[in-house]
Amino acid sequence: MIRRPALVAAAAAALMLTAAGCGGGSSESASGSSSSSGGGGGGGGGTIAVITVDPSNPYWKAEVDTTVAEAKKLGYDTTVNAHENDQTKQNQFIDSAISGKVKAIILDPAGAKESIGAVQKATDAGIPVFLVNAEIDKQGIAKSQIVSNNSQGATLGAQEWVKAMGGKGTYVELFGNPTDNNAKVRSDAYHAVIDQYPDLKLVQKETANWDRQQGKQKMETLLQAHPDITGVIAGNDEMALGAIQALKDAGKIGQVKVLGFDGNDDAAAAVQNGEMVATSLQPIVQGSTLAVQQADSYLRTGKTGVAEEKQAINCVLITKDNASKLKGFVLAQ
Amino acid sequence: MSTEIVAGPSIGSRRLRINKSAVIAEGRALLALAIIIVVFSLLSSRFLDSTNLIIMTRHVAFNAVLALGMLLVILNGGIDLSVGSTVGLSGMMAGYLLKGWPIPGTDTVAFPSVWVVIVLSCLVGTLVGVVNGLLIAKLNVAPFIATLGMLYAVRGFAELIGNGETFTALSGQESLGNTGFIGVLHGKILGVPFPIWVMIVMAIIFSVFLGRAPFGRWLYASGSNERAAELSGVPIKRVQVTVYVLSGLCAGIVGLLLTADLSAAVPSGGSGYELNAIAAVVIGGAALSGGRGTVRGTLIGAFVIGFLVDGLVLVGVSVFWQEVIKGVVIIVAVALDQLQQRLQKGRTVKDAGAPAAPSREERVPAAAS
Repeated sequence: MIRRPALVAAAAAALMLTAAGCGGGSSESASGSSSSSGGGGGGGGGTIAVITVDPSNPYWKAEVDTTVAEAKKLGYDTTVNAHENDQTKQNQFIDSAISGKVKAIILDPAGAKESIGAVQKATDAGIPVFLVNAEIDKQGIAKSQIVSNNSQGATLGAQEWVKAMGGKGTYVELFGNPTDNNAKVRSDAYHAVIDQYPDLKLVQKETANWDRQQGKQKMETLLQAHPDITGVIAGNDEMALGAIQALKDAGKIGQVKVLGFDGNDDAAAAVQNGEMVATSLQPIVQGSTLAVQQADSYLRTGKTGVAEEKQAINCVLITKDNASKLKGFVLAQ
Repeated sequence: MSTEIVAGPSIGSRRLRINKSAVIAEGRALLALAIIIVVFSLLSSRFLDSTNLIIMTRHVAFNAVLALGMLLVILNGGIDLSVGSTVGLSGMMAGYLLKGWPIPGTDTVAFPSVWVVIVLSCLVGTLVGVVNGLLIAKLNVAPFIATLGMLYAVRGFAELIGNGETFTALSGQESLGNTGFIGVLHGKILGVPFPIWVMIVMAIIFSVFLGRAPFGRWLYASGSNERAAELSGVPIKRVQVTVYVLSGLCAGIVGLLLTADLSAAVPSGGSGYELNAIAAVVIGGAALSGGRGTVRGTLIGAFVIGFLVDGLVLVGVSVFWQEVIKGVVIIVAVALDQLQQRLQKGRTVKDAGAPAAPSREERVPAAAS
């Protein structure tokens, strides 16, 4: 009787360990973290902690893969963790990076305001933080903030979509996770363009939380409510791809123009075969590479080598003309 | 402890009582469903349109099949939080096999035919269930903890299979002989989508299983009072493992259906589905403490949740209110259940003039004097 709780506790602890290991996401983490850490040190070397959002989404997977590869090239080990936009988790990963005495942290922050404290904490502990993909609402703490220009990308996409719509028609909007700042930024930029055309009417706005499956199911119901729509704007490619699947099932793919955002491979294929009007390629590969290079430069010379802390990299519009050259978030020249 | 002995052997009379309360619980869930249907059909003329009904029922079917597995676990007094992740794993497994399985150690790539893919993916779901069952029955890990751990671990495996990638090459190739996955699982029979048929067939199998097979009696008995059931010769460990295995199998099936529905295997597939399944079971009148619940009630519960979610989108309720309303409906349904439980328990005690069969939590009613 007395031993049972102990056994349960032990088993639970073992499970938690498994869970933490797997929840960490990318498989690179296992090979990366275990090797050196203590002895490394001289010119390059040591560990860089990579904290991302959710590597099961192709976009963040590209971010992780690029960061890890670039760090390896420059002679660093990496640990990879995913906070899934949860500030508490983010905080824990920052804490363990601090106690693990990593050389630098490359962070895709969970929220612009909410992440300030976490970045401050690491900086106070003497670990430089380099932000990639998203920014925080304060300058002077992180060494670099490399963000893709969401607003510019969404503007490009919206312009292309309006052209395809011929400036008129009814449409629905699939909105990203409402607590994610990027969902609002993209939506605002879409509407800044589209709302100039009084004949384009938004009939319903629905969230699908960046997710393909939710995008499909929401779209199926939306098509019931508004059978005559001619357009869909989506905050990212996954939701747009879900919507496309729903439109295919309903036999309406020919009459509805879909707009995506991100530029992932499935979206590139959809643009190529005419199911998606356009998507905006986020320069995540370029941004992640720059983040590692600036971290490396900072560790060696004390300077990132770039004048501005906040660096916005522009998105590239992907249409039928260039979709075939897009692979793994890189547009071949 | 002494009350258990008093209430132990009266399995026959308890079954009668279960049925009576089950009917009332179902009636209440049915009432909720009727209210939802009336309200939404007044708000939107499209709600009762046959195309819309079929789409909504197809959405319900995914959750309903999961909920049937969850019902068995909850009847046993357990919980299975890992089903959402298992849905993702089974779907990813199917996507991986259809894309071509590079046999380790050789240069050859195997392209299993569709039925093999389906069987293997279901087996993966079953395997997750076996692990859950063994952790809980043999190592005595609390079901909540064991399946919570599996929720994370299994999701991790789903992501590992494709290294986080999405599989979209699911239609197969004629020359490789692996076509038909989407055609069958996303097809229609007599104008009704395949997932709805799966829901119907599974519901029939499960109600026969619970109502007529000895296993059903064992499950209700061990869920109501594990010790008493064990003393009357019920193989409680075997029952416990079996319910998790069947729950894993259900999740595996849903993973296949969802993957075919989306024409893509996404590693995040099924996230959060466990909670919808639990909600369906509970709205359908089952007690989380075990021993009470029916297949019919669970199906109605799944329809309540599914019609509510789709109906809110159909009439254009704002995103945040959708969440609030869904939460309120779940709470109200369960609160009503508890209230009615207490009333009924009081009445039963008075009628019988003896203590009622205690639930596993030993909640002796206040009116028991």
